[in-house]
Amino acid sequence: MRTRPSTAGALAAVLAAGPLAAQRTGVVYGTVRDTTGAPLAHAVVQASGTLLRTTADEAGRYRLAGIRDGPALLEVRLIGYRLERRTVQITTGDSVVADFALHPGPLYVGHEVVTAAKRSQLLDEAVTSVALVTRDDLRRRVVERIDEAVDKAPGVHYLNGQINLRGSTGYAQGLGARVLLLVDGVPMNQGDRGGINWDLVPVDWAERVEIVKGAGSALYGSGALGGVVNIITTDPPQRVHVRARATAGAFADPPHDVWAFRERMGGHGSLDVTASYRSDEFGGAATGGFRHSDGYREQSARDHWHVAAKGHYALAPATRLDLSGSWAVDEYEVPLLWCVRGTCEDGGQAYQPFKVDSSARGDRTWSGKGYVAAVLSRAATEQLSWTLRASWLRTRFTDFHRAGDDFSIANRLGVEGRVEARRTADGVVTVGAEATLADVSSDIFGTHTQGEYAVYAESERLLGRVRLTTGARIDFLAIDGSGLTAVVSPRVGAVIGAGAAVWRASAGRGFRAPSLGERFVTTVVPPFRVLPNPSLHAETAWSFELGHRRSLGVLGDLDAAAFWTEAVDYIEPAVNATTFEIQFRNLTRARLAGLDLAVTAAPFTPNLTTGLAYTLLYTREAPRDTAPARALPFRPRHLLRLSADWTPAPFTVGADLRIVSRFERVLLYESDPRVAERVLDLRFGWHWGSLDARLLVTNALNYIYNQVPRTLAPVRTLSLSAVWTY
Amino acid sequence: MSRARRLGAALVAAGLACNDGLAPIPAPTSCPPGFVGICGTVTFRGAIPESTDVVYVVAYDTFPQGPDDLFDFVPLLPPTLPLGGSATFYTLPVPEGRYEWVLAVWKKQGQLTISNADSLLREAGFFRDPADTTRAGVVAVSGIGTDEIDFVVDFDMMHPVSYWFPMPPQPR
Repeated sequence: MRTRPSTAGALAAVLAAGPLAAQRTGVVYGTVRDTTGAPLAHAVVQASGTLLRTTADEAGRYRLAGIRDGPALLEVRLIGYRLERRTVQITTGDSVVADFALHPGPLYVGHEVVTAAKRSQLLDEAVTSVALVTRDDLRRRVVERIDEAVDKAPGVHYLNGQINLRGSTGYAQGLGARVLLLVDGVPMNQGDRGGINWDLVPVDWAERVEIVKGAGSALYGSGALGGVVNIITTDPPQRVHVRARATAGAFADPPHDVWAFRERMGGHGSLDVTASYRSDEFGGAATGGFRHSDGYREQSARDHWHVAAKGHYALAPATRLDLSGSWAVDEYEVPLLWCVRGTCEDGGQAYQPFKVDSSARGDRTWSGKGYVAAVLSRAATEQLSWTLRASWLRTRFTDFHRAGDDFSIANRLGVEGRVEARRTADGVVTVGAEATLADVSSDIFGTHTQGEYAVYAESERLLGRVRLTTGARIDFLAIDGSGLTAVVSPRVGAVIGAGAAVWRASAGRGFRAPSLGERFVTTVVPPFRVLPNPSLHAETAWSFELGHRRSLGVLGDLDAAAFWTEAVDYIEPAVNATTFEIQFRNLTRARLAGLDLAVTAAPFTPNLTTGLAYTLLYTREAPRDTAPARALPFRPRHLLRLSADWTPAPFTVGADLRIVSRFERVLLYESDPRVAERVLDLRFGWHWGSLDARLLVTNALNYIYNQVPRTLAPVRTLSLSAVWTY
Repeated sequence: MSRARRLGAALVAAGLACNDGLAPIPAPTSCPPGFVGICGTVTFRGAIPESTDVVYVVAYDTFPQGPDDLFDFVPLLPPTLPLGGSATFYTLPVPEGRYEWVLAVWKKQGQLTISNADSLLREAGFFRDPADTTRAGVVAVSGIGTDEIDFVVDFDMMHPVSYWFPMPPQPR
């Protein structure tokens, strides 16, 4: 009788391999410093060809155990420094010292990314644009949620918490993101609304965030129509560490007395504690914390609590199990629309942007969300590795309105198996299968399920100077157990050159299945009724990109890209003026095209880094009903960011300036006042031993603006943060 | 000044030059410059019912011929009238054109649907033809604000939808 390998059999074989200590392995340890001798915390040390990796602690120390007897190639990476490689000789049961001194280098050249091809590759080998948010970016901006730093990345624009990559999503009150969120490669978009919860992962866990722009459906399927954001968490450093962060701050009062809305100044504060431990075989971290905010406008107070834990276990030098999970609860008041004349104590004003329409006074929401995920990875040989993952994301909320309460409970279950085979040094094939099952039980979305089942494959091959990528994914979609609908998403891409100058080109088809929320929502957003549209079907798009990345030597990097997306059956909310109804519908066609430019440079002194990012966006929806061709709503034509950081140790000083042009078109209240977004953020830092203090002033000029009609954007906010690390 | 300082100064100057965001706008007492639509003063009479949710001002380009035309008004999201005073100035942003009925609509508290419109909505007053005050006045909007479209809202003399559009006799 023939036998065949099974997943259970593979797992049994892996577990039977025994822990690292029982094998013929040794240890390497040492420090990672820069060329001046300063320790480089969070540098990643990895044994090449294995899954063994660790992170340097605040003193730059690292220790990596379980490396097989014999010569081992160690790689040390940190953004802003050149990749260091060294071969060390490992002896069974012994340890060897390897200290590294990293040289400053071009910011991103030679850096590893894992999202663009669903496997590890150099940034210069990616066929689509990838933007990075580093741990340092997160730290110096004193962010409490990861999206607050992702917002500063080139080509990214947030609109009331909804992320847009190159204008992909627009704004639909959190419904139907066209960007897929991953946490260490695990999809995390909500099961009911398809939106994103950015606070599933504590900020302190993030090593970097990779933002892949353009259609990613060839590898990631639905949801990745506009791009993918992957939060990569860090491995804890060796031994026990504790990190506590406290933040306190205040919101500016309205700049005009006639807009005053409260007696005292509003404040905010938070406390987070993370404890981590790592031994040779096991590592883990746990975080707990809370935040409170009075809000910067009327009825916008918010409380947030979260707990999270993660761990990894090195079953063997080439086998690793990762477990993670979190649960977060928010209770917040809902300031849906600002007050216009006659809807509150208007003080004789045409509108009161800090006050809410009194008909919505008292509206609030309770929201809980969490996930658990398990990932088993094995580098079976130098040519073959595989990954298995399973995840469960659960979200629930209750909206408390004067007219009645709404609730939703949703789950998203996912499993995936993936194999990566390197046929030669010049070629790699990735093959995988994935299944996702989402369900919702809600008074506004109904009770429904949506299944997505997919297989995919992608090949990369070096042909002369050209690195050619071809692949495709086929997804089968089923709503409420109905018949399957198939969607094919092919992609082809090429990269020419390496090192200092790289050209890339790609063409890919993406798709997004409507979320259960878009398809089945039945609710009231006064004065509108929002109607379900069960016949809503998947939107598809062809995306094209031509890009160029060039190293400016020690000065920095330049990345430029032209992009073009032709979408069919694009899903947008349609407002029916005669019946006071809103319904999500498939537009016939839509076009999004433009240019992306990002430059990072250290032009005067190594202590000064500057950045410029500019996106030019052109959007058009085809004529429909009686409406002519026109811009897609909630998309800015121009998006400009300037940043500068000066770091004369132990101090740091920095600034971000963000300019977003006024939208050509919005839905509802089109004649209301709206202005462009022009926001200056300032930051100061001081590092002393294990203490790191930061002062952040966002919207320092207290520029009063809105992008979503009748929704005031954040005013000047002062935040003082202290981080103590043991 | 070093180049670094010059860059910093330029950055700050650029930021400072940007501070021209939203500003207070006093409630208008005449048609604002650049405004396209209808303006006027509404005078209130009678006692405001306790069940009042809101009072809208809307315009119809053609006088409704029946309940099916009831939702053919402009603008899509009509302005509301501030209550509490004896009179208030209103602005009604509508496109250029001819409007046969400009009126105030009182809404009772509760969720409005097409089926319950008769019980939740009332005509509370409308602009009248100066030559024949029993009829609705016609308003022309031609690229600017058409001012002095004044009328009275009488909370004691409101009319349901069925007053204007009686249901046809139902078969027994």
